[in-house]
Amino acid sequence: MDPITSYLGIACLLFTIGGIGLCLRRNAIVLFMCVEMMLNAVNLAFVAFSKIHGNLDGQVAVFFVMVIAAAESAIGLAIILSVFRSVASIETTDAAELKW
Amino acid sequence: MEDTRLALVVLVPLVGAILSYVLGRAAPRIAGILATAAVATSFCFVVSLWQALEGGQTFSFTLSSWLSFSNIKLPLEIYFDKLSAVMCLVVTGVGSLIHLYSIGYMAHDESRPRFFSYLNLFIASMLILVLGKSLPVIFIGWEGVGLCSYLLIGFWYTNPDFASAGRKAFVMNRIGDLGFIVAMAILYHSCGSLDITVLNRPEVLARIPSEMGFIAGIALFLAATGKSAQLPLFTWLPDAMAGPTPVSALIHAATMVTAGIYLMARMFGVIELAPLVPAIILWTALATSAIAAIIAISQNDIKKVLAYSTVSQLGFMFLAVGVGAYSVALFHVVTHAFFKACLFMSAGSVIHGCHHEQDMRRMGGLAKSMPLTCLSYGAATLAIAGIAPFAGYFSKHAILESLAHAHNPYLHSYGELIGLGATAIAICTAFYMTRSFILTFLGSYRGEGHPHEAPMVMTAPVLVLAVLSVVGGLVLNHGFFTYLQGPLPPVATHSGGGILGSVLGSVPGLIGIAAAYALFIVTPAVKDQIRKVLWVGEKVSSGKFFLDEILGLLVIAPFRGLSVVVSRVLDQSVSIGTGNAIGGISRAVGELTCRVTTGQVSTYVLWMFASAAFLLYCFLPVR
Amino acid sequence: MSFMEFVLAAIGIASAIGVVGFRNPLSSAFSLIVHLLAIAGLYALLGAHFLAVSQVVVYAGAIMVLVLFVLMLLNLKSESGRRIGIVRSALTVGIGLVIFLSISAPMLAQFADLPQATLEQNIKSSEGGVKAIGELLYSQYMVQFELSSLVLLVGVVGAVMLAKRKNVQLMPREGGMGGVK
Repeated sequence: MDPITSYLGIACLLFTIGGIGLCLRRNAIVLFMCVEMMLNAVNLAFVAFSKIHGNLDGQVAVFFVMVIAAAESAIGLAIILSVFRSVASIETTDAAELKW
Repeated sequence: MEDTRLALVVLVPLVGAILSYVLGRAAPRIAGILATAAVATSFCFVVSLWQALEGGQTFSFTLSSWLSFSNIKLPLEIYFDKLSAVMCLVVTGVGSLIHLYSIGYMAHDESRPRFFSYLNLFIASMLILVLGKSLPVIFIGWEGVGLCSYLLIGFWYTNPDFASAGRKAFVMNRIGDLGFIVAMAILYHSCGSLDITVLNRPEVLARIPSEMGFIAGIALFLAATGKSAQLPLFTWLPDAMAGPTPVSALIHAATMVTAGIYLMARMFGVIELAPLVPAIILWTALATSAIAAIIAISQNDIKKVLAYSTVSQLGFMFLAVGVGAYSVALFHVVTHAFFKACLFMSAGSVIHGCHHEQDMRRMGGLAKSMPLTCLSYGAATLAIAGIAPFAGYFSKHAILESLAHAHNPYLHSYGELIGLGATAIAICTAFYMTRSFILTFLGSYRGEGHPHEAPMVMTAPVLVLAVLSVVGGLVLNHGFFTYLQGPLPPVATHSGGGILGSVLGSVPGLIGIAAAYALFIVTPAVKDQIRKVLWVGEKVSSGKFFLDEILGLLVIAPFRGLSVVVSRVLDQSVSIGTGNAIGGISRAVGELTCRVTTGQVSTYVLWMFASAAFLLYCFLPVR
Repeated sequence: MSFMEFVLAAIGIASAIGVVGFRNPLSSAFSLIVHLLAIAGLYALLGAHFLAVSQVVVYAGAIMVLVLFVLMLLNLKSESGRRIGIVRSALTVGIGLVIFLSISAPMLAQFADLPQATLEQNIKSSEGGVKAIGELLYSQYMVQFELSSLVLLVGVVGAVMLAKRKNVQLMPREGGMGGVK
């Protein structure tokens, strides 16, 4: 396998691990970290694509993903804080009002 | 020939309707002035167009395209010929006088802007009706005037009786409209066009199969009976008197109710396809006219007398239609517009002056306190009675004369009978009109309070119409029939005659007037004797021939029974049962599927991943 | 694949498994820091120097500090209570496997037969130095760049609003909102 395409394989693997974590964990902050990990996996794939195609557009996309991730982390952690304030827990099983 | 003025004729009242409402809400005073100005402007355009008509020339204008399918083209086109010209002049001319009168009559009403807006909308619809170049465009106007009539009858909608009178008019008109639609369908199917200029060509009419022609003619007549209040659909018109009096004058006497006559005249080719149709029209018209005249004798409400008189006069016009004398019918439309509008507006002044009293038994002696109104009412009464130099004489005489020339295979030898009947009705008309005049203006005042003369803004238009009722027939008599010979078939009548002819022609009217004078002034005792003898007749007359009850029994009762059956049986078992079953199914499904939404984020994420995996597996090309 | 790349990739995957596996959120967070640093190293090896630096500063620095801060603030213990059932774990891992295969297989197949020469040429021409990225950001991606600053601003405001205590008076006091009555 070519070294560059093996980066794509690693990205896929990291993405899957993040997704599995999202399904298995209950701590909201850990879920948040798993989402960050999945974003990172996509970023890695972007950089690899940028190399394969020989232009910098992929890397610019990564830059924007980082911007979004920063904003998302600020908002996400604020939401976790307010959830914690209302149910005194950040376990997703405890914040289950949105059901029938 | 295209002419922009023609579009303005219709558009000015339409704009007026919007403006008088919108601006009138800010300043109610200007609503009436705006509306009157709009109709007067329209009248000026009509006059200028009418002046420009020469020979067989016509004007037309395409407002826009309405329907345009592959092979069906239906432009929104209006058309001005001599027949439209006559109708337009009446509608806008009498219309502007009545608008002017309304300014005074409605001066104290809260919702004047709404009133004048409706009134202008009516004028616009009526103009579309008489100007429409194809039957669907005429139908727009036809429905428009029906709507305005409904809105104006129920103008004081807080009174449930008035509102239901409006509803009655609307529903009865819908029955007639069914006929209009059927006629349109048949004509389009057989002729491939609904353009009135095409439809009256003999070679086009020849394409209609005879039995279809009969149905189309009858359907058109049904439409006309709805709009023009003929048997069996006339009971809405007396009820329509619930509206303000100017509305009765404009819509339910002078213009809208003559739309049926106009339609008959426009479509005379279709009407005459089967000779049975004119015969049916003749008999229906005679019956309507007679019944309405008999009912009018026993009415005590001044507006009801005039309403039944209108029905009776419309019957007269249909008599002329039935013998093919369309221009004679149109002539009576014009003179009737003059004197009936005058009568209604005088009655309105009386009602206004007597503090909203409509019962003639509580009037009387108003000649002293309301001299101008008395004068105009008297002139119009003489006109409707058919006394020689007044307007009604010429048109009525022309109708009686054309009845004498009637030749219809289905009349057999009864032709003379119709003429005799019409003469009897003419006597009757003179009788009940004189009665109402005597009860209202002569004798001594029997009501409360002090009656007063109407303001100038009301008396002026009434006097104009009174003058027209006096001289209108004399002026129009010479040129009218030859003028309309282009769009309508010629009539063989030389009405009026010499002095001797006039005197003889006035005899029926004079008999009626004399009888009323004798019974109500000279020997009231004899009147009471007659009432005792003819008590059955009085019952029937004041009960309005029980037509409402008969219609109720024949039409409404079965309908109501059917509704009850449907609501009890079909609705309860079938509809509700089906509804509950469907509801139950979706409820069960819902209760089952709501288990999926656990509120657990991890479950949702798992579902999302599973679906993503499924989609990826299905759609990504795995080589 | 060079030795360095291999080591960094192995660290990255191992620490990713650690993020998911540790029961203590704090351990997960530290594991994530290691993971992010390893990815930064991979960026550097790929020649995306600007991104490597950004990764360290933004992710491993700012975001993770924020996460640790919140963790400490909430003073959480490790996940308690019953664990997720074995059936569900197996199901999740199975689904993950399907996803992994159906993403990676077509991607790898797509680029498997690239000529080596053009690939090396492309790698050379896409050196992601600060200058190159900066030129691209301030010319072709100017609008998007400005919009991203807006996103950050909205994020900041939103975070403040969300994290505010509920008993703090949000409405302006009487007589505020100058002129509006």
